[in-house]
Amino acid sequence: MSGDVQERGDGNGVKLALAWGFVGIPLAWGVVQTVANALKLFQ
Amino acid sequence: MSLLSILDRDRTIARPGFSRWLIPPAALCVHLCIGQAYAFSVFNLPMTRLIGITQSGSGDWELTDLGWIFSLGIFVLGASAALLGRWVEEGGPRRAMFTAALCWSGGFVIAATGVYLHNIWVIYFGYGIVGGFGLGIGYISPVSTLIKWFPDRPGMATGMAIMGFGGGAFIAAPLSVWLMRQFTTPTHIGVAETFLVMGAIYFCFMMVGAAIVRVPAPGWMPAGYAPTAQPKRLITTQNVYVYDALKTPQFWLIWWILCLNVTAGIGVLGQASAMSQEMFPGRVTAVAASGFVGLMSLFNMGGRFFWASMSDVLGRRNTYFIFFALGTLLYAAVPYTGMIGSVPLFVIAYGIIFSMYGGGFATVPAYLKDMFGTRYVGAIHGLLLTAWSMAGIFGPVLVNYIRAYNVAHGIAKAEAYNITMYVMAVLLVIGFICNVLVTAVNQKHHMKLREAEASA
Repeated sequence: MSGDVQERGDGNGVKLALAWGFVGIPLAWGVVQTVANALKLFQ
Repeated sequence: MSLLSILDRDRTIARPGFSRWLIPPAALCVHLCIGQAYAFSVFNLPMTRLIGITQSGSGDWELTDLGWIFSLGIFVLGASAALLGRWVEEGGPRRAMFTAALCWSGGFVIAATGVYLHNIWVIYFGYGIVGGFGLGIGYISPVSTLIKWFPDRPGMATGMAIMGFGGGAFIAAPLSVWLMRQFTTPTHIGVAETFLVMGAIYFCFMMVGAAIVRVPAPGWMPAGYAPTAQPKRLITTQNVYVYDALKTPQFWLIWWILCLNVTAGIGVLGQASAMSQEMFPGRVTAVAASGFVGLMSLFNMGGRFFWASMSDVLGRRNTYFIFFALGTLLYAAVPYTGMIGSVPLFVIAYGIIFSMYGGGFATVPAYLKDMFGTRYVGAIHGLLLTAWSMAGIFGPVLVNYIRAYNVAHGIAKAEAYNITMYVMAVLLVIGFICNVLVTAVNQKHHMKLREAEASA
């Protein structure tokens, strides 16, 4: 099976956005919380 | 029975049109959840006040009792990854992720029962052992799948997942604190309820990963990627059977490479807060030290992705050469930053050190793939994680013992860590030598050759 065939696909864009958003949003929230806490080092 | 068949490897083979970029978020669904382990300490103080509520009362647990929960979890992580690596590899990622979700969330439910009954042994069993199995199975579950989907960028792919393990604590720490606040009343500390809610959240989150994950169809290659016909000296195109890998010097050299890199990092990770305050007395407050620890965690997480991705360009052995050479220089330089009183230099040195600590974890699956092939890389990685268990014991003990010895012999607290730093630098020199000794695996260990011999 060629990679071209397997990587192309209708609707993958929506799936990718949902999947990455599902993990990315909580991670970004956690990083923001940590950065806010870390800034205390420089105050 | 038929319901469980959806977990089979055969049922997870990707259909045409499936994007391989869905696999990293599937892996992150698992790693972001099990990464909670690094944030377990947020429960420690509340769990010492479950009876006394405002302060520790008669019958309340001691911090030393609670410390064992995390240690047991990390120990079982390494042991279960080593024991079940082959089962994970052969059963496929969905079955492994489902099992990890059951163990991890089940561990929280059992631990909640332990808190409710105020029985520490139930918590040891729940979070430490059952949850520890979830940690071990979950940690290795997506590794070989990612490597098979990204043969062109194996370091980057596994780096993304293992970055999630570092990042899980960023979500878990504030979430745990917020949940405990919701469930705490003037007469009750809401730890058990928090465990139950987190168990439920983690189960759902990990099941999404299990639902998304797919293995590539046999013979699949990414578009435009052609494996080189002439293999590179340190990147094999052959496979080594999981238990045959144990017979090779390469496995044990990489075991020591991981163990030494982790020992150096983990030893100072647990002491980072106290170290920053004692090396810069009056300048780094307790609040600032907590910010320093958070910053180091960010470097730890970022390093996992950065260094593992860089290893695709630099080569795995060269990346570890950088870890060990630069790490040695930086550990040796830390006492100097204390001597000149430079907090920024101290922070920069530690930031780089912790990025390489995380990078060591994240780059090692691709190093194993280069040495032993893709067939059993997940299982071999599981065996290698015993190095982590070992380092988790030796690192903190080494740092604590050396510091206590120095203080007992009249050395000022600000200078008590200097010897520790030099010892860590020596450990990294030994790691550098181990890395020098890594060569290609002898052909006699390759699976095809073995099979040919058996059929001859």
